[in-house]
Amino acid sequence: MDTQPGSDTSKVKDPSRLTYENVQTRWFVLSSYWIVIILALPFWWRTTSIERLSLPSHRIRAQVEERPRLAVTLALDRSSFGTQVDSVASEVNGLLEASASSSRWRGIDAKVVVGADEKSSYTVSAGKSTVVGNRSLVLSSEDVKRPTRIAELLSDLVAPYMATADNLPERVIQYAPRYRLAFSLLNENAASKSGATGWDVQRAISKHFNPVLSELGLLHNFTIESQVQYHSPLAFQPEIIDNGLGLTHDQLTVFVNSAEWTLASSVSNDPVLHFVLFVPSQKDMPMYILDTAGRPANSNGFLLPQWGGVYVLNTPPDQQELVHLKEKDLLPVFSTFVGQFLTLMGVANLPPDVRSLETSALSSWQLDALLRRRALENIHGSQDTLHSIIKLVEEIENMPVGDVVRDEVQGSLDLLEEAYRASSISPELTLKWSSQALAFASRAFFDPGMLALLYFPAEHKYAVYTPLFASISVPLIVALVREFKAWKLTRQAAQ
Amino acid sequence: MTPCAFRLTKCLLALGLFSLASTSASASSGPGQGHAAPIQARETFDESLTLRPLPDGRVSAAFEFKTVVRGARPREPGSLGRAREEGDVSQHYALFPLELGQILRAHAVAELHLGLRAGKWDYDAWGAPGAWTTADPSPEPHAGVGAGAAGAATGAELYAWMGDAGGGEGEGGVSIDDRWTGLRSALAGLFCASLESLDERRTCAPADAFPPSGTLPPLASQYRPRSNASGSSIGAGGGGYYELRHALQPAEHVCTENLTPFVRLLPCKAAAGLGRLLNPQKLFGADWHGLGVHVRWVAPGGGGGEGGVELVLAAQGVFDPVRLSGSYRSRDWSFQRLFDRLVEARCPVARSSRVYVELPQDVAYSVVPEPTKVEGAVAMYDLLAENAERVDVSLRYLLEKQFQYPTARPPSLSPLTVRRALHGTSQAHGALAVSVTNNLDTPVRVGYLETLPALVTLWLHTLTVTLDGDARPRNDLLTDLTYQPPLPHGAHTGPSVLQAALAIPPRATLRLSVDMGKAFLRYTEHQPDAMRGWDLPGAVFFPLALDDKSYGAGLASAKNSNETAVATTIGYRIHTPNLLVDLATPDFSMPYNVIILSCTLITLIFGSVFNMLTRRWVLVDMDEGLDVE
Repeated sequence: MDTQPGSDTSKVKDPSRLTYENVQTRWFVLSSYWIVIILALPFWWRTTSIERLSLPSHRIRAQVEERPRLAVTLALDRSSFGTQVDSVASEVNGLLEASASSSRWRGIDAKVVVGADEKSSYTVSAGKSTVVGNRSLVLSSEDVKRPTRIAELLSDLVAPYMATADNLPERVIQYAPRYRLAFSLLNENAASKSGATGWDVQRAISKHFNPVLSELGLLHNFTIESQVQYHSPLAFQPEIIDNGLGLTHDQLTVFVNSAEWTLASSVSNDPVLHFVLFVPSQKDMPMYILDTAGRPANSNGFLLPQWGGVYVLNTPPDQQELVHLKEKDLLPVFSTFVGQFLTLMGVANLPPDVRSLETSALSSWQLDALLRRRALENIHGSQDTLHSIIKLVEEIENMPVGDVVRDEVQGSLDLLEEAYRASSISPELTLKWSSQALAFASRAFFDPGMLALLYFPAEHKYAVYTPLFASISVPLIVALVREFKAWKLTRQAAQ
Repeated sequence: MTPCAFRLTKCLLALGLFSLASTSASASSGPGQGHAAPIQARETFDESLTLRPLPDGRVSAAFEFKTVVRGARPREPGSLGRAREEGDVSQHYALFPLELGQILRAHAVAELHLGLRAGKWDYDAWGAPGAWTTADPSPEPHAGVGAGAAGAATGAELYAWMGDAGGGEGEGGVSIDDRWTGLRSALAGLFCASLESLDERRTCAPADAFPPSGTLPPLASQYRPRSNASGSSIGAGGGGYYELRHALQPAEHVCTENLTPFVRLLPCKAAAGLGRLLNPQKLFGADWHGLGVHVRWVAPGGGGGEGGVELVLAAQGVFDPVRLSGSYRSRDWSFQRLFDRLVEARCPVARSSRVYVELPQDVAYSVVPEPTKVEGAVAMYDLLAENAERVDVSLRYLLEKQFQYPTARPPSLSPLTVRRALHGTSQAHGALAVSVTNNLDTPVRVGYLETLPALVTLWLHTLTVTLDGDARPRNDLLTDLTYQPPLPHGAHTGPSVLQAALAIPPRATLRLSVDMGKAFLRYTEHQPDAMRGWDLPGAVFFPLALDDKSYGAGLASAKNSNETAVATTIGYRIHTPNLLVDLATPDFSMPYNVIILSCTLITLIFGSVFNMLTRRWVLVDMDEGLDVE
């Protein structure tokens, strides 16, 4: 240290001569503070920012535009149609093309060709009456001559779903790879001697449901459960009619008393379809379902959209004790349940005047139509979900996007592409890939990690940061300004 | 320092060996798996109500609703992984509640006990909890869960025995801990109880204290045994093993929202049968009340006949008719007075529906109406009999105008009298003191279990055992000590588990004392209403298997003990009441104050250092005024 004695004005040494008092040192001190702060900024930014990995939004936008089309080739049998085969084919093609813009054909490309080859999926031939077989349609001799009729039949068989406009899609339950079917025998009040202690539910299910379930096994898995309850009161008083009690249309919507009926637990996330056999108590017997005119309807069963079916069973009035419902007692009940089940699953009926020759419960035309419908539904569902994810992520800047979400979105996209590729080959494969794509997309959408910092307001950050940063920055900035002024002064003085 | 054998054993490995009857595994059918036979033959439902007058004028009313699915077996745990892919087999129930069956099946639970109880069970005055004073359930129709399984731990107690087929995660198996988590959530949803809080911080596996009350079915043998060095958790033949998970939340309060789902599990709900008497307003007004769900498997053959899965839904209340009667101060009771309801209709699917009344001794009484049968000191009413509707059983003490509370404390009805307390006023340290009095004329050997959450840490070197006020340590009376220290933070949290065998000479009082440290919790670890303190679960005194040689040592030299006296153990588990521990609690408005205060401090230091470094020092000539430089 320079220990030059002070000037003669005083015995004290001049502070400006001290090494640490020279301008360079001060600048060095000041700038090192600022350098540390500036170097620390990226670290601070890195450690406090939310992890937002970039999602493949361009790819998603491109995919959303994509409208895969499932190809259906219908081959006219050359021998059945004779010489007119080409004209019939072109006429039917023309009719199908004319209606191609309607909603029922969305996503399906139907083409009529002449002569079967290995690419064609269905054959159309002539026979005695109009029947459907294993991927084949046999036309009666009159129908063969009418191309409009052929086009109409093929439309009904290949694309039976009138989408969006009517209320059909609301009834059908959303696609899931696995459903639970819950059968419940509910006695309104078993203590009143009019109920049933049990039912041959397993036999009835194996007789009525198993054929249908094995056909639908291609699309879904099913888990079956059943229970009996002995006290399940209604939450309302049914209307009193001449010969008993009646349930009006409004009452049907509130029929299920979920407060007091324990119908299913939440042990799994699979959607549940309920089939409820309701046995009214003796004082409420007989109970009918009323039509709009207030008269008892023919059927005693009704369907609750996307929920399941209900059947009201009136036991004989002279019953003196509880009975065990035999298989034959359950025949009307379970045939109603199967019908309700098929409606809920979205299985289309065959055209009214067409019979099926197939031994299985569902014809191959119905199954294929359902497969196509579910595949397209899943593709649209995954597209919508993916689109919603990127929209949400773009809108909410605080939403973290981790690698789990990114991988799931990526996986969903890859599977969707697989589904597009398969769409021209096989509806089964399309369904398989698209359902997996949907599963991935929904998992990404509902990922709990995306909610982590959603509700952390900016005010909290200011409250944490300002007490330190504001008070530290003031001397730093003031020192900087002061030094700058001093530097300017000395420069002016030098000039 | 002591002859006690200190063994630090991991909680999960401290499992006893269970030799299982190697019954041949018949066609495995879980509760409600496919069977051609009609359901009625498979499932039976019995209900009973046992009323027991207690010496202090109170009446214990214990309901038992028992459903048995004959021929059913708990699910094979190895099938869990497969079911994920393929879907599950069908479940068909008529009487067994489907909701509960689904939960048991989804988590492959072999045995389950859930208790939601409130109040302090007074063992000295009331004897054993449950329907009967005797420990072993007598044969049908008195058979029930028995006092052993009934328990009286205050709060929510859940324990389950679950098998592991040894498949492991790699082979599609689901681990026991995952299933335990799932089971807790499912039951919490079903019973509207805070069972979610029974997490790892409270879960342990004291298998000696909570042995299976039924039989654990042998597991399928196609799985490799898991290589386990200690081998202590292998319990079932063929490579699989069973493990216990036990958790107790002492602060949970049972209330109406728990009774409603409980009643919904009954076949006739509260509409008919004895379930009608479960009036929430009366039950939860009782001095002690509890709900229990007990599921176990009874092996085929032996006393169980065909065997099957047995579900007992138990509800118990200790009513005080003296209080209910107001100024009359009479201990006469009737259904109307106790429950404010009568059984108006019989449950049509009940195989039996009975009311048992334990008749008072050595006092004049009348019981109305006429019992169907009187057997010893127990009157029985069959509610399924003719003319048995609207039965209002009432018991009157004929020569008693007003009930006089006994002035001298009557002899204890419990083999042990236990007192347990926390000493010390500091928020950092304390001491746990337990005194156990043997009320019997024979020496008693009993297991002692403490499961304390990581809020407190026991210091085992301070453990002292004394007898009858004698200052000399009697560590020989405490044997087979195992202790698992608590794991307070991080990924492996867990309670501390202290288990020991105590030998208590006849009519003597054993005192145990151990110092403990109290945890300093993180800000976020405090529960709502932190100033109230934390509930510590009660200790458990459990029966010991007496043929074990290691328990004999302490008794030979015991004071006053008859050398020839045969030692006994207790017949049921005794739970002590909860304790409340006071921990250092922060002022919860502090965080921002702390931030601001520490920021101010940092700024002050920074400012002064910074000023020192960048200040420009000048000489000021006082004569020339303040002319800078």
